[in-house]
Amino acid sequence: MLKLLVPFLALVAAIFGVVATDRPDPEADFTFINRGDVTTLDPQRMSWMQDLRVARLLYEPLVRLDVLSDDYHIIPGVAESWDVSDDLTEYTFHLRDNAKWSNGDPVTAHDFVYSWRRALLPETAADYTALFQNIDGAKEFFTWRSEQTKAYAKAARDMSPEQQRKASQELWEEAERYFDEHVALHAIDDHTLHVRLTYPTPYWLDLCAFIVFAPVYQPLVQQYEQIDPETGLVKLKLGWTKPPLIVSNGPFVLESWRFKRSLFLRANPNWWNKDSLDIETIAIPSVEDPNSQVLAFESGSVDWVSDVNADYRIQMLADKQAFYRENQEQYDQLVAAGLDRFAIDAALPDDPRKNIHAIPAFGTYWYNFNCLETLADGRANPFHDARVRRAFAMCIDKQRLVDDVLRIGNPVARTIIPPGSIAGYTSPAGLKCISDAKNEQERQAIIDEAKALIAEAGYPSPTDLPRIELLFNKDGGHDLIAQQIARDWEKYLGVRTFLAQKEIKVYKDDLKKQNYMASRAGWYGDYADPTTFLDLCRTDDGNNDRKYSSEVFDGLLDRAKVETDPVARTKLLTEAERMIMEDDLPMVPLFHYVTIYLFDPDEVTGLNPHPRTQQNLYYIDMLRDDKGRNEVKPYRHAGQS
Amino acid sequence: MIGLILRRLLQLPIILMVIYTITLTLSWAIPGNPLEKPEGRQPSAEVIEAMKRQYKLDSFPAFYASYLESATGIAYARDALTGKLAEQKRAAAELGVAPPVHYIFDLGPSLQYNDWNVNEIVSTSLPVSVVLGLTSIAIALGIGLTAGVVGAVKPNSFADLVTLFIAMIGISLPSFVVGTILLLVFAVLWPVLPVGGWGTLGKLVLPSITLSLPFAAYIARLTRMGMIEALDADYVRTARAKGLSEMTVLVKHALKNAFLPVLSFLGPATAYAMTGSFVIEKVFSVPGLGQHFVNAVLNKDLFLIMGVVLIFATMLVLFNLAVDVLYRWVDPRIR
Repeated sequence: MLKLLVPFLALVAAIFGVVATDRPDPEADFTFINRGDVTTLDPQRMSWMQDLRVARLLYEPLVRLDVLSDDYHIIPGVAESWDVSDDLTEYTFHLRDNAKWSNGDPVTAHDFVYSWRRALLPETAADYTALFQNIDGAKEFFTWRSEQTKAYAKAARDMSPEQQRKASQELWEEAERYFDEHVALHAIDDHTLHVRLTYPTPYWLDLCAFIVFAPVYQPLVQQYEQIDPETGLVKLKLGWTKPPLIVSNGPFVLESWRFKRSLFLRANPNWWNKDSLDIETIAIPSVEDPNSQVLAFESGSVDWVSDVNADYRIQMLADKQAFYRENQEQYDQLVAAGLDRFAIDAALPDDPRKNIHAIPAFGTYWYNFNCLETLADGRANPFHDARVRRAFAMCIDKQRLVDDVLRIGNPVARTIIPPGSIAGYTSPAGLKCISDAKNEQERQAIIDEAKALIAEAGYPSPTDLPRIELLFNKDGGHDLIAQQIARDWEKYLGVRTFLAQKEIKVYKDDLKKQNYMASRAGWYGDYADPTTFLDLCRTDDGNNDRKYSSEVFDGLLDRAKVETDPVARTKLLTEAERMIMEDDLPMVPLFHYVTIYLFDPDEVTGLNPHPRTQQNLYYIDMLRDDKGRNEVKPYRHAGQS
Repeated sequence: MIGLILRRLLQLPIILMVIYTITLTLSWAIPGNPLEKPEGRQPSAEVIEAMKRQYKLDSFPAFYASYLESATGIAYARDALTGKLAEQKRAAAELGVAPPVHYIFDLGPSLQYNDWNVNEIVSTSLPVSVVLGLTSIAIALGIGLTAGVVGAVKPNSFADLVTLFIAMIGISLPSFVVGTILLLVFAVLWPVLPVGGWGTLGKLVLPSITLSLPFAAYIARLTRMGMIEALDADYVRTARAKGLSEMTVLVKHALKNAFLPVLSFLGPATAYAMTGSFVIEKVFSVPGLGQHFVNAVLNKDLFLIMGVVLIFATMLVLFNLAVDVLYRWVDPRIR
């Protein structure tokens, strides 16, 4: 028996050995839990919110958004100043002399040309490549490159390896030449970048502030791009985004990145604006479980949870309302004084209940209607008729959905664009629905109107409609929302609804193939312009899962595209949104998303409650530490400095 | 003994080939496109097409062959022999930089974690899983054997019922409940241990205890059964008649035989403890391998699925072999 103790003891010793040699990250000034694990730190390839958030710490684009102001206006970044032509299509950026990479090299206009070209290569698989295609000639380059490599792949099959190597090299040189000649993006000198756009794009600077437009360090990255002789494609090798290799130009540098474990960032001594920083180090531990995230905050090991998903957040939010009620008088005074919600919380008495914050986000949850004449399996589709779509959209009690099912304070959505999220744009009123009825009479009037619409569409009674099917994916509480909608439709219209719950990949597949009648969907906006939402309903848009197609709607967007007068342009876009939200209803908006934060406003400052919820974490100051200014950073109204 | 080891090691590649073929066929059949993100932005048709060409995702036989080639090291050997590697090294040296890493057994890139190779993912998360798994098996052995022996000494006594009851709870309570309760008690209410993470002995305590409980419960029941049987056996009566102390009888004579079923349970249990800790990894934020089994399949991350499945298969075979070897060592009757 003792014999067995030998391997057992050896094992225990080995375990201790392994653990003892592990070096944990040092304590950071600011520790937060990101929305999920970072998947990539290559700015051109990213699209997840958690990746973008970390990238904003590591890289700096030409311009930035002043996220501590409620209009999110543009402020200088790597570019010190810029000139815009009168027709809003030509931009000349003047780069600052003291912009440096983390290794001390200067950031030049050539770095931007190189990085943006990467984003325009199909093989880079940049999720946001479409945004770069606002540059004149860029869309053509993208398509041309795609065709060029496709043709090459066919031809290369009959070549010897030696021939392939040579031919693929020539192929790439041809692509470089094509880019230089056809794409209106040029570095005039080291510090001047010139861009010409196809159309006047009023939100172009907002795009330039988007972190996927940040530069990467060419001497490093190009070593990881190899031309694959078989396909002619530029093949990306992994590795350069990790320390100690990574070179970046933003406020922080990446000191360590351990897979599924943590990221550790330290202030970049070479950043031109490093004196504005109030913290030195940031740690981002990977904590996936929603309950553990809250426990980590409560035990004091993290300062900010950026997306609270624990089920009991409903109770936590209710507790906060109770806290407000207990301090009603003071709360009302602070609101009247015009303070933002974080400043109000900071001014109220110390209490752990005030640490949770629900803020409206730049996204909307809706139900798609399949607009095709027939379903994927050939059956007739009742939702092909806009009148039926309108009737069903009217018969959803959105208020009840928000109050009784979601219970985390989502604003009811009447339109697709969240109100107040885009400076200078006002959405139309939207279609009325059951929850707008103030009494039983009005409610009955809405139901009668809906039934009349269905009758007009050729179904004398709603029960003559085929069985309605609702598609949604498992998890995330979508089932509860679908059940509520089905109940509403049964209650008000008397129709039977079949709930089709599927695994997310299957759901996505069905959505892409229009294999559904009505389906759950949602969208977060990317940039400050209504088109970030409205483009989804364009006939040829890749995300038009509803297959809605209207010449009038497309025409409005096309006219807006070339309109240089901002007032006239806004009018066109409002009309376009009115069309889909009041007449045609390819989708019925249900509610706007909220983001739930957990942080102590007496300890952390520098976060903002703007609906676009972009947090530039280099603004963070820990109020109770001995570093930085230790003053609450206010969220300013437009015009205030 | 040597023959046994050699025979098993020779079988290993064949077993892996079969598992590879079956797993790849099944994962290929999962609906959905691995290059599409379920949430978030969708790449355009041209991008998907280019990616498919790059990763050979457009044809099953091409993918099957190319994965096999790089995972077995054939591709590496070929590149080394044709001088391609040396050429890249020379090119990198000219630029004055380190050449990109080449793995001998290249398991490919993860389609879900864009910046990581499956080799990197496995090599960082496997040690974590191994340490966590072995620690919890060690704890399970400690608890399980003690409880089993205590119970067997006086069957149906109060002590026996208590241990049986605890074992029952250990088996039936899901680990996310146990884990969350332990976290709440020992990290928040009475903060003596960290909430989660990895890297220090303190962070190892809660997850390994949570993971060990079901194993401990099973071991306790196996030991109890074995001990009750052994304590009735003639050789134990003989030992007692010789006047040996009760402790010696229990540990040296009875437990030795009662331990054999536990030993055969340990092989698969160890492999399972190392990879089946999905829930525990989530609750305690442990960066182990178990989570990838679930997430990779949900995301149809083909390279990662193949990587973790092949690693798990290899471990299962090796641990069963280790148990067989230990068996012969402990019990010389088995030949």
